[in-house]
Amino acid sequence: MTATTRIIGPAILAATFCAGWAQAEDKVLRFATWDSDESLAIEEAIAKKFEEAHPGVKVQVEPYGDGFDQKLTAAMGAGSPPDVMYMWNFPSYKDSLLPLDDLIAKDAAELNLADIPQGLLNTAKIDGKTYGLPVGFTTHVVFYNKDMFAAAGVPEPKAGWTWDDLRADAAKFRNKDQKVYGFAVDAKPDPYDFEQFLWSDGTKYISDDGRTIDGYMNSPEAVEVLTMFADMLKTEQAVGLNIGDDTSGSTLFKGGKIAMYQSAMWSKSGLDESGMHYGVAPMPTFGSKPVHSAIDASAISIAKDTKEPDLAWEFVKFFSSPEAVKMRKNDLPVRTSVVKELGMDQDPMFKPFFDILAVSNRETHAFLKNPNWGRIQDNLAKAIEATMIDQGNAKQHLDEAVAASARFLN
Amino acid sequence: MASQPAVTRPSRRKARGAGIAPWLFISPWILGFLFFTLGPLAFSFVMSLHDWPVVGQRTFVGLDNYRVMFLHDPQFWTSLGITVKFAALFVPLNIVLSFLLAVLLNLNLKGTPIYRTAFYLPSVISGVALVTIWSWLYSKEYGLLNYLLSFAGIDGPNWLGDTGWSIVAITIASLWGLGGSMLIFLAGLQSVPKELYEAARVSGVPAWAQVVHITLPMLSPMLLFTFITSIISAFQQLTIALLLTKGGPVGSTYFFAMYIYDNAFKFHDMGYAAAMSWVMFLIIMALSMLVMRWSSAWVYYEGEVRKDGDHA
Repeated sequence: MTATTRIIGPAILAATFCAGWAQAEDKVLRFATWDSDESLAIEEAIAKKFEEAHPGVKVQVEPYGDGFDQKLTAAMGAGSPPDVMYMWNFPSYKDSLLPLDDLIAKDAAELNLADIPQGLLNTAKIDGKTYGLPVGFTTHVVFYNKDMFAAAGVPEPKAGWTWDDLRADAAKFRNKDQKVYGFAVDAKPDPYDFEQFLWSDGTKYISDDGRTIDGYMNSPEAVEVLTMFADMLKTEQAVGLNIGDDTSGSTLFKGGKIAMYQSAMWSKSGLDESGMHYGVAPMPTFGSKPVHSAIDASAISIAKDTKEPDLAWEFVKFFSSPEAVKMRKNDLPVRTSVVKELGMDQDPMFKPFFDILAVSNRETHAFLKNPNWGRIQDNLAKAIEATMIDQGNAKQHLDEAVAASARFLN
Repeated sequence: MASQPAVTRPSRRKARGAGIAPWLFISPWILGFLFFTLGPLAFSFVMSLHDWPVVGQRTFVGLDNYRVMFLHDPQFWTSLGITVKFAALFVPLNIVLSFLLAVLLNLNLKGTPIYRTAFYLPSVISGVALVTIWSWLYSKEYGLLNYLLSFAGIDGPNWLGDTGWSIVAITIASLWGLGGSMLIFLAGLQSVPKELYEAARVSGVPAWAQVVHITLPMLSPMLLFTFITSIISAFQQLTIALLLTKGGPVGSTYFFAMYIYDNAFKFHDMGYAAAMSWVMFLIIMALSMLVMRWSSAWVYYEGEVRKDGDHA
């Protein structure tokens, strides 16, 4: 008995002490993000600003990184979700998120949502309910190495250029000895972004009613897109990324191993930091077809089960305020007033992002059309990868993906 | 004791105390087993009978998850096939190589302790660090492995980027951790009585026959143990594939365990993942039982007396 008391006694004492201490401490708001490195640092800086404005509040930034979905799923399943979190996949998580419409109506004047493009607001809406506020976004562009273009005597890309132009340019940079290529093709692209190439060639992964992929995902246009990229690998106009080697495209681009690199805002600050001399070109078109970019928007949402709904809402409002939006350097400002104030829509380093945004409003991303899209997308990703490894056979691989996905379409 | 009539109160209390004490001592294990093994095991079976999303409504679907798995999910069979292929490569190689290494280390040559440490070292390294090292070794353009092969005039394969080589690459990386089974064999070798070998030598039995008739039978319990644990670890292979190839290229290393993982944490289909886990559990149990039953034909335990008297 005495021995037990001796052990358990201090333990109880310690537990009581800890509990009391935690209560006396600040209010803690948990904020989960998928970002790392510099983007994470920016978010932490915004969180710090919020803490300064709200004494007694501590924002605990939880960087889930690549495991964002797994960790968020686990946290929600265990009943202890973060209070606020980054969000893009609203169909999957909407049941666990707090609808914001009443809160938005209450603080309409302060929020001034007219300042945020409707298209971005819509990314966080399902069935007319708003589950998040956009805080940053990016469209897609082609970065090119100005020094390499000058050294090779190749004229820099201009607005209105086509994929044929890009391929002709890329061919001029190939140097076997120095392992230099003109472009890079990712064998494992994020299918979410990759759909922009299909859109720009006049097709899409899945019909707008979300019920048909046969004739879409494996349409002649889709086959043409995959075949073009596979062909660029075969003719050495491009180096393959993620084929048994996970060296990133931005590493190669910064190292002068590729002259052009198709990417988005998330690569830009790294390029700025490297001090390299680069330019931003618009996405090339397929002949005379209209181009259409993928739009990657980050929104911020509140967990339904949060114990601090008021504080969480204050945090969300702050995150989408002009002050916080201005601090974000790794994506584009969601507020038009900030874009205008910083003159970004006239800056040649940013203009292509906004130009393509203006014309990228015709298509809807596939995950919003079918609840099983995650599984279909796995088959599609396999088809893309197989085509790039084979350097061909796009039709066969896409047909296989369509056949394997049939059971997810009901 | 208990039948004696003159039992005093204090001593009875002492007797009862002695009854509880052993249970208290093993209670950490028992409680751990109940709460962290048996409990979740039973719970996962209940889950496997449901459509169980992480968030939202759970519905009882009976054996539907199992029906879909066997009849409508080609990926289930593909992943199972890949796992069986891996086991077929890994299990024999793991046993043979760790046995050979143990025999070499048992020769008591100069520097044996250094080699023993070196061979066991990879088993101490955590999986993630190990995978990072291998991803450098395997790199097609810059990897050490292909660099060394180039000296022999061989143009090395794209280890992790070729659908044919990827599973070989994973097998080799997995074999790097054979230090554990090597150590078991080594301990076994060192416990074989020297007299047996001496007797054989005196009778003029050649060295190979000594291995076949003395070493192997004496080591057969260790062989059985290694066999079963190798099968289990082969079927549960996840870390190396997840980190080294992420199941690719083109799903060529998309192991069964990885498909379970994806179903649970990527597709949020806990019920289906639980059902698949149970199928894996049953497969491993069936294989282990098969091996155990078969083992009575070749495993020899010291002090064992065979009914037919052959080996007594």
